[in-house]
Amino acid sequence: MPCSIELKSVSQSFENISSASIASKVNASTITLFENLDLSIHQGQSYAITGPSGAGKSSLLMLLSGLEKPTSGQGTYLNDKQINDNHSSSLDNLRSEIGFIFQQFHLLPELTALHNIALPLKLRGDKQAIKKAKHWLEKVGLSDRANHKPSQLSGGEQQRVAIARALVFSPKFIFADEPTGNLDQHNANEIADILFACCKENNAGLIIVTHSSDLASKAQNIYCLANGELTKTSSTNSVNKQQDEEKQVASC
Amino acid sequence: MLKHQLQLAWYYFQQEYSQPHQKLLRWVQAILMIFIVTLTLSSNTIQHYLQGNLQNLLGADAVLTQKNKLTTKQLTLLENFSDKVVNTSQINTTLTFNGKWQSAKLKAVGNDYPLQGQLLTSTSLQSPAIVTNGGPLAGNIWLDSRLLASLTLSIGDVIKLGEQTFIVSKVLIHEPDRLMEGHNVAMRALVNKSDMKKLAFPADLIQHRYLISASKSQVQQLIDWQQEQLPAAHINHKLGAHPLALFWQRTENFLGLASIILFFMAAIAIEQIAQVHLKKEQYFSAICMSLGASKATGLQLSLFKWLINIVVLIPVVALLSGVFHWLVVSWLSETFAEITWQLELWLTAKTIATSVLLFAVFHSPVWLTLCQTSVSKLFHQNHKSMSLGLVKLCALLVLVLVAVNYSDNGLLTLMLVSSILITIILIVAISWVVLTLGEKTTQQFSGLVPFTFFMMKQRLLSKSTQILGIGLSTFLLLFTLMFLKDLGNTMGAYQRTHDGNVMVSQASQVEMNAIKKWSKEYDINLRQAKPYVYAKVVKINNQALNKFTTKPSDSLATLSHSIRLHWTQDIPKTNSLVQGTWWKKDAEKWQQISLEEEVMTDLGLDLGDTLTFIINQQSYTFTITASHVYKPGSGSIIFWVQMPQTAIQHINAPHYNMASLELNDDQWPLLGQLWQKHPTIRMVSLQELTKQFDAILAMVTKVISGFAVMIILLAIIVILSSINALEGKEKKKNSVIMSFGFLKKTCLQLNIIEWLITALIIAIGAIAGTYITGMLIYQSQFSLPYQPDFLILFITLTIILSTVTLLGIYASRHSLKSSVKQLMADN
Repeated sequence: MPCSIELKSVSQSFENISSASIASKVNASTITLFENLDLSIHQGQSYAITGPSGAGKSSLLMLLSGLEKPTSGQGTYLNDKQINDNHSSSLDNLRSEIGFIFQQFHLLPELTALHNIALPLKLRGDKQAIKKAKHWLEKVGLSDRANHKPSQLSGGEQQRVAIARALVFSPKFIFADEPTGNLDQHNANEIADILFACCKENNAGLIIVTHSSDLASKAQNIYCLANGELTKTSSTNSVNKQQDEEKQVASC
Repeated sequence: MLKHQLQLAWYYFQQEYSQPHQKLLRWVQAILMIFIVTLTLSSNTIQHYLQGNLQNLLGADAVLTQKNKLTTKQLTLLENFSDKVVNTSQINTTLTFNGKWQSAKLKAVGNDYPLQGQLLTSTSLQSPAIVTNGGPLAGNIWLDSRLLASLTLSIGDVIKLGEQTFIVSKVLIHEPDRLMEGHNVAMRALVNKSDMKKLAFPADLIQHRYLISASKSQVQQLIDWQQEQLPAAHINHKLGAHPLALFWQRTENFLGLASIILFFMAAIAIEQIAQVHLKKEQYFSAICMSLGASKATGLQLSLFKWLINIVVLIPVVALLSGVFHWLVVSWLSETFAEITWQLELWLTAKTIATSVLLFAVFHSPVWLTLCQTSVSKLFHQNHKSMSLGLVKLCALLVLVLVAVNYSDNGLLTLMLVSSILITIILIVAISWVVLTLGEKTTQQFSGLVPFTFFMMKQRLLSKSTQILGIGLSTFLLLFTLMFLKDLGNTMGAYQRTHDGNVMVSQASQVEMNAIKKWSKEYDINLRQAKPYVYAKVVKINNQALNKFTTKPSDSLATLSHSIRLHWTQDIPKTNSLVQGTWWKKDAEKWQQISLEEEVMTDLGLDLGDTLTFIINQQSYTFTITASHVYKPGSGSIIFWVQMPQTAIQHINAPHYNMASLELNDDQWPLLGQLWQKHPTIRMVSLQELTKQFDAILAMVTKVISGFAVMIILLAIIVILSSINALEGKEKKKNSVIMSFGFLKKTCLQLNIIEWLITALIIAIGAIAGTYITGMLIYQSQFSLPYQPDFLILFITLTIILSTVTLLGIYASRHSLKSSVKQLMADN
């Protein structure tokens, strides 16, 4: 059984305090992003969350990754050991099992592509860090750019490095916030394919927040968050997509 | 248009007012301006005081001083240049009474004294001062109140001087021809001219002073005549500078050099802050240009903002400098009697303007970057340009030029600047070695320490700027504190290491024989005795001394008076040869000398240069054939100028001796006996020496402590600025680490390890830099043997490590307030 993340009846809201209301300490209004939302995420599956700006997609991502607490409701994490015990734990325990990919890549500018990828392994004290990083650099097709710094790489190349960096320490889940938002169509497609394929190969759950319907359509599960409600959108191409991804894995 | 831009600049200035980089910049500028303005105002007040002091206390339009009495012919000629001439004579002597002794300046005057001004005396210590015409009658002596108190004398007592007895008849309150009032601490006594003859002191020890009443043109004629006819004589006149002015100028130069260190630190802080400024201003300017504004608009706004920042600071700086100036003047009033505080608006404005110009030079890289900025910079981040490096190099050059201009001691400045450069190279090298070795050796281990080494090595360039900034500040701070401590220790240890507890600085041949006989008689240990003649340098390379160089220095100040010329066959144990060759035994060529290295450097002399001396009214020219330095461990009697032993056969001049004696507690009262018989022996007991040292130490401690406070303040600002400069990068790094599934705690641990490594590099660099500077400067400039105490070094290392680490962690707490969400928000 794969590991999973469960959100049960979670709500997220925050106080909207304008500068005028700070002065008067009144008129602070509460904005609710969503209420009583349920969602299950399983390792090895891909998920896309779409929806209009301001709907709370990124907040949902933060809740799923355990980096933020919901206003109400509960988030739980069920790992391999707990599955046998039929016993779940809080999302705090998820921290070491997750990786992130950002729209702005956020590579460290002083480090080369190779060292950026090796970073999480080095932090974990992995003596094979550089060897594994080289392997991942090869996987994302950048073995000839190992010693280049981020400023010497194109946007697409930087995002490939970011993908390799997020997956190099074999996390169980990858959270990606608009991973192709900064790229042109061609690069976006390429990056999306690599991202999905690599997650699949590593049996990592992939949760993407995106506005791009093209990118979302590559996911096995597509959700739309709008007006505080999360609805699952059926994907007619999902079976075909899965077949495509399997082909991609072979080449990854 | 201009008004509109000023309004806009004011608006943005307000917006940025409380941002950390702006706050830090204001602190640096304010501290430095307050220091410089206070220093300038205080210097100016002292200069004015000395000028006024000269006018009031000269007691004549000109005073000609020389060792020998003028011949009748010379006196007649002198009278041609003046309306009236009054002759006085004085000698350094020691007065004794009831087993007590006290050295004093004994002056002999006639009935025609004083020439100008008022002679004030009183009939008892409590009586008011009265104006007196003419000096004491024969057989009478007038003593100043300190001398009376020191010997516990009263009016009417009889004291014995040599074979003569004197009745103490009045208290001497003030003599108008005393130039050094408030500065020369020698106690004073006045006798009649005829008594001086009866005392029969050696003629060459008496200083003859001719007080002259003359017009400006006559004074000028007199100066020309003196330079031609009496080159060994000394003239003070109302047209010239105060004898202390030169001393003060040198003190000022030393403080100037100290302020250069502060400027260096401020430059480091401003450089660190400018990194943040540069990015923000460049971004802002590019945004403005993308909205249709011209490049000049961005530049003008930045300039106006900077100017507003300065203008806002000026009232605070002016007010605080005024207050500090007042405090300094109050403190100085203990030394300089009747010195008064005055508001100096024009000088304050001028000094602030100069400081602002220097700040502008330091800040110019930001403006140069704005000149090169374009909208494309919004797409391509930070391209370092060569011209920016050039501007920074120019700023460094400006600093070095200011340092050279301020300093009167070329060697000291060179050493200090070299030490700073060596420390920079050292810190860079240590950073590279520590990080490379650290990374290599920890590669095999897992954990946060290897990771920190790896990250620091990867970010070597940005990290080394931070390390360099803090390292240099720590070095300057450490050096200042070490110097203070070592100076104090050396002075404290003087009692233990000094050879002998009585130093004879001048004893004629007869007196020396008496000392030898006396010491033998009472079994007193006579440690060293070295002969010398008095010689005055009048020409260097056939050029008059005052024309050869006008730059004030220790050496020039000393050479303008008679110096002690020692003769010796071999290199003394207290010296070592640094260049040239020492003369051979029984050298036939006797007109050669060895000169102390510092004098050579200060005056820019080389081997082969010639020095012309007046020795006992005769002129002798010597060639420099060697140069020597002080070698510690073999005694403390040293000479700046030495000549071959064979030379003394050709020079007809009275011989004097320097000597050191060791007296035990029971033998101290015997000194009175010696002094009573030979009152002109110049001796100083260790007790008096240490008293002088204590006074100097107290003053040095106050000055250096104040200076250390300034450096500590600036060092803290440098650390904060360097952290502020890297805060954005650190924040991002922490967020990225958290996105790998790590907690904030891990980031904090990494931060602590990184600061510990940084502090270690800084501590090693600063201590090594201080050690090298100590080796370079201590011995040659302050005659202090540099013997680093390893326990102290270890304690210092620990203090630096913990202080820098704690300050670093505290100051970088903002960079720990990062989160993965922030990285997402950057989208």
